[in-house]
Amino acid sequence: MAARRIELMLCTGTGCVAGGSFRIKKALEEEIARHGLQSEVSLVPTGCNGFCGQGPLMVVEPEGIFYGWLRPEEVPFLVEEHFLKGRPIKKLMFVPRERKEPVPLLRDIPFFKKQKLIVLRNKGLIDPERIDDYLARDGYVALEKVLTSMRPEEVNEEIRRSGLRGRGGAGFPTGLKWSVCRNEPRTPKYVICNCDEGDPGAYMDRSVFESDPHSVIEGQTIAAYAIGASRGFIYVRTEYPLAIKRMRIALQQAREYGLLGENIFGSGFSFDLEIREGSGAFVCGEETSLIHSIEGKSPEPRQRPPFPAQVGLWGCPTVINNVETLANVPVIINRGADWFSGIGTETSKGTKIFSLVGKINNTGLIEVPMGIRLREIIYEIGDGIPGNKKFKAVQTGGPSGGCIPASLMDLPIDYESLIQAGSMMGSGGMIVMDEDTCMVDVSKFYLQFTNDESCGKCTTCRDGSAALLEVLTRITNGDGREGDIEFLEELGMAIKDASMCGLGTTLPNPVLSTIRYFRDEYEAHIRQKRCPAVVCRGIISSPCQYMCPLHTDVPAYLTLIATGRFKEALEVVRRTNPLPIICGRVCMAHCTLKCRSKESGEAIAIRELKRFLTDWELESGQLPEISPFPRRYDEKVAIIGSGPAGLTAGYSLAEKGYEVTVFEKYPVAGGMLALAIPDYRLPKKLLQIEIDVIRQAGVHIKTNSPIENIDALFDQGYKAVLIAVGAHKNRKLEIPGEDVEGVIDPITLLRKVNLGEEVPSLGNRVGIIGGGNTAIDAARTALRLGSKEVTIFYRRTRSEMPAIPEEIEAALEEGVRIEFLVAPERVISEAGKLKGVEFVRTKLGEPDASGRKRPIQIEGSEFVVELDSLLPAVSQDTEIPPGFGVEVSKGKAVKVSNETLMTSRDGVFACGDAVTLPTDVTTAMAEARNAAELIHKYLRGEKVEREYKLIEPSIRVEPIELEAEVSETTRPIMPRVPPEQRRNNFDEVELGYSREVAMKEARRCLRCDWEVQEMREKAREREIGVEA
Amino acid sequence: MPKLTLDELRKKREEARKSIYLREGEFKGKIIVHMGTCGIAAGARSIVSAFLEELEKSGAKDIMVTTSGCAGLCSKEPMVTIEMLDSPPVKYVELTPEKVKKIFREHILGGTTVAEYALGIGSESGG
Repeated sequence: MAARRIELMLCTGTGCVAGGSFRIKKALEEEIARHGLQSEVSLVPTGCNGFCGQGPLMVVEPEGIFYGWLRPEEVPFLVEEHFLKGRPIKKLMFVPRERKEPVPLLRDIPFFKKQKLIVLRNKGLIDPERIDDYLARDGYVALEKVLTSMRPEEVNEEIRRSGLRGRGGAGFPTGLKWSVCRNEPRTPKYVICNCDEGDPGAYMDRSVFESDPHSVIEGQTIAAYAIGASRGFIYVRTEYPLAIKRMRIALQQAREYGLLGENIFGSGFSFDLEIREGSGAFVCGEETSLIHSIEGKSPEPRQRPPFPAQVGLWGCPTVINNVETLANVPVIINRGADWFSGIGTETSKGTKIFSLVGKINNTGLIEVPMGIRLREIIYEIGDGIPGNKKFKAVQTGGPSGGCIPASLMDLPIDYESLIQAGSMMGSGGMIVMDEDTCMVDVSKFYLQFTNDESCGKCTTCRDGSAALLEVLTRITNGDGREGDIEFLEELGMAIKDASMCGLGTTLPNPVLSTIRYFRDEYEAHIRQKRCPAVVCRGIISSPCQYMCPLHTDVPAYLTLIATGRFKEALEVVRRTNPLPIICGRVCMAHCTLKCRSKESGEAIAIRELKRFLTDWELESGQLPEISPFPRRYDEKVAIIGSGPAGLTAGYSLAEKGYEVTVFEKYPVAGGMLALAIPDYRLPKKLLQIEIDVIRQAGVHIKTNSPIENIDALFDQGYKAVLIAVGAHKNRKLEIPGEDVEGVIDPITLLRKVNLGEEVPSLGNRVGIIGGGNTAIDAARTALRLGSKEVTIFYRRTRSEMPAIPEEIEAALEEGVRIEFLVAPERVISEAGKLKGVEFVRTKLGEPDASGRKRPIQIEGSEFVVELDSLLPAVSQDTEIPPGFGVEVSKGKAVKVSNETLMTSRDGVFACGDAVTLPTDVTTAMAEARNAAELIHKYLRGEKVEREYKLIEPSIRVEPIELEAEVSETTRPIMPRVPPEQRRNNFDEVELGYSREVAMKEARRCLRCDWEVQEMREKAREREIGVEA
Repeated sequence: MPKLTLDELRKKREEARKSIYLREGEFKGKIIVHMGTCGIAAGARSIVSAFLEELEKSGAKDIMVTTSGCAGLCSKEPMVTIEMLDSPPVKYVELTPEKVKKIFREHILGGTTVAEYALGIGSESGG
């Protein structure tokens, strides 16, 4: 007989089995036989390896090569190349995110590195259906030791000294529980293994059963010896067929070897185990309910004390331990209490298994030392959040636990710290949530679960959970009321106080902890009818309409485009947006940020479709006839600034019936639209068309009219003033040496170009600092002014750049270079003239509490770039003159109350960049519309207060019936003038979609608003008593 | 099966330990058989088997037999590279099962290179 040279440790835990590992197993066996490798290569089906996100997976020993995401069709190649010819297959290896090279060996994969395996010591290393494999890994050595050399009291003492606490979640000291039971005089005694794992997302008990059942049997037998029991039960939910199967096999093998049964090792100690299958009620995990279930009674809890250790199964003293607790026992006996208590924190010893699931790159089962920080779990073991999204919170302890916010990322995890943070260890489920998770929705989810699972015995739990759920449902439907949060808190505390068992006393935790850390989210739902994470369908009709600051009814106008009803589509747009030509070109397209089409492809090209509509209108010459809005009120309103905010507010106020005058400091109207955005993005003549529309609506616009002091306006008889100025003052870099010739303010440069004024020569080598739209505009303008080498320097990476992605793309096409991960250190000059800039390289560091990675300077990486001119495009401030008459903050932002938009002075309002400093066109317009509303209230003597309404479709447009499924998942390419033809002039670059392309693209809309529309209609019908 | 006595259990455990050494062993030596198409054609499969047989006979649990691609000297196949801890790798060429026995005995177990079969000492690792 010859030795084997390769062992294939194929994971056959439930996760991998679901992914097809038994099919892989069959394929492997066939291929190994085909190459005659049976005697050299053996296949070992193991339990869960833990890296479940990579399943089906396999580890090739002796080297320890890790292969994931196996498919049967890859097996022939794998067997021939690797097992026969010795060439490991790179494409099947694990590649960490942000790294290109695969990591061949399991031990080098970060997911495994930080783990400490005690309970899972045998995972992936043994065949769970072979007792000999367990024996080979020191199996039953502890039982031997206990039965041959320790008295039961000594065993209890060893476990007590180890500091082991219950892993089921509550953390009761195991040794103490055993001693209490041991000291009960009555017999018989029982020991029960609790494998009624019910938390959504938690599967550690199942995995232990599936990968190492003997470790539980051994631990439970030792427990029986320690307390003096001769009979034990394994209570496992029937939904775990594979776990039950493997446990049955293990029990049978243990009996055959004499490790269970009469007179074990001739020690006089007898013990045997039976499996009891529970039918999966959550409450059965509660120990007194579990006992009732084994007794054949209805699984309802009973009052404690007496505790089961005193009065348990059939009234006899009974120890109930969780799977994980028991699996720790043999190792503690083998390695000693001192070794075990050396791991973990002051109060929590050893390790804990967590199932790491949710919005995390590496999902799976992990075993980590107590005291590990959440940050290590999320960012090192878990490798961060998919899609570079922000980490928001983690729910530990399942429906009984609570959420831990990102701000507590450095919390060392143990029983006490979790309780203090408002959560609990629970069985160890760890559900990671990102920025797209709504915390109110999450607590609603858990309450649905606990409300379903409440056994109904205690009124507080049964009806209390229903009442909590009702209020949460109302809040997530946008029908929240003042006082709801306080009600949830009060009722939650009452349920905790008055319920009998763990289910009731912990079920309010998800609600209470989310209120504790995310109260603002609850308030947003209730007061502002907003769901900040854009989740709650009852609040969000469609993500596009919801995300659009103007709440334009996007789904309606997309369907109208798809059916060729362009005029109607534009009417829908104009209901909320008086500047569609402008917005079709320069909007940041907030509407696409959460577009559902992104789940399977690209967001719908909404901005481009809006532009198509205006192109169609301009070409057809059918601009709507506008006549001035009729005057309804005597009061006159003055607006300072004619940018998007000023124009929108002017239009809205004129529409309401006021005489409005807009004062513009510069020679042209349009603010940043006219002065900062280059012609190639927004041609002046098109801008003029829409400014004319505003004028035709009755708004007076006075250019060259700076306002130095607000008093002057009141003196002229204006009854209200809106400050809607832009942020025209470029901010400095605040680095040494920047006040020299050649450092040019990009805002001034863009303004001069836009006004046709003479501009300073930039030279050939131009550097721009920043990553926003101004940086891109400045770079592309520099090219057009004749500079040859234009480089943008940005301190983060492309995915963090705030500029519009299409603009970045266009700039790169034109030859602009972008240097990422660099920060300017100082400006180098000679005789007062710029020579260059010293930069330092940066790397993205640990995410801060907000989840955004900070650029960290790399010491010693300084380098100098020679430049002819430098354009710092970092940010801007307003130019509000001293003595203007309202309070301003640093950066000269006008201070307003968020709820009234009123400044420190009665009757003076402000909005847009004047308040927020540079944001974007649509956001400024939306706030301007709100400001107009508030000014109207002010002038009418009503209470000046922002009104929040549920966002609803403006018109009912039925979705089109598609004859065939739309197969496109990407948006059409926007036709642009070729780079070589465009980079030396200011002609418009984007050419717009054709009618055919636009209609086709509009058909791609999923009309996700429709379901909500129907839902709301039904709800209304119910309310007014109409039979549906 | 009758119940095991304590001694029988211990014996079983020792036997079982031997069967899983590939998964957890520390290895002091690595026998790399070159299994390019050239190697296989020249009989490398029988070389693998020969080494595995010797390994089993010896009972050594710290030697790994593995395979690798063509070493670049196709005319001298079958070839192996032997890497023992703390000594430079050695390539043996034109192997036969007979030569394997000697190499296993003298080099792997005895620690002395079998100079007559060796290509050269200190050449780069084939693994």
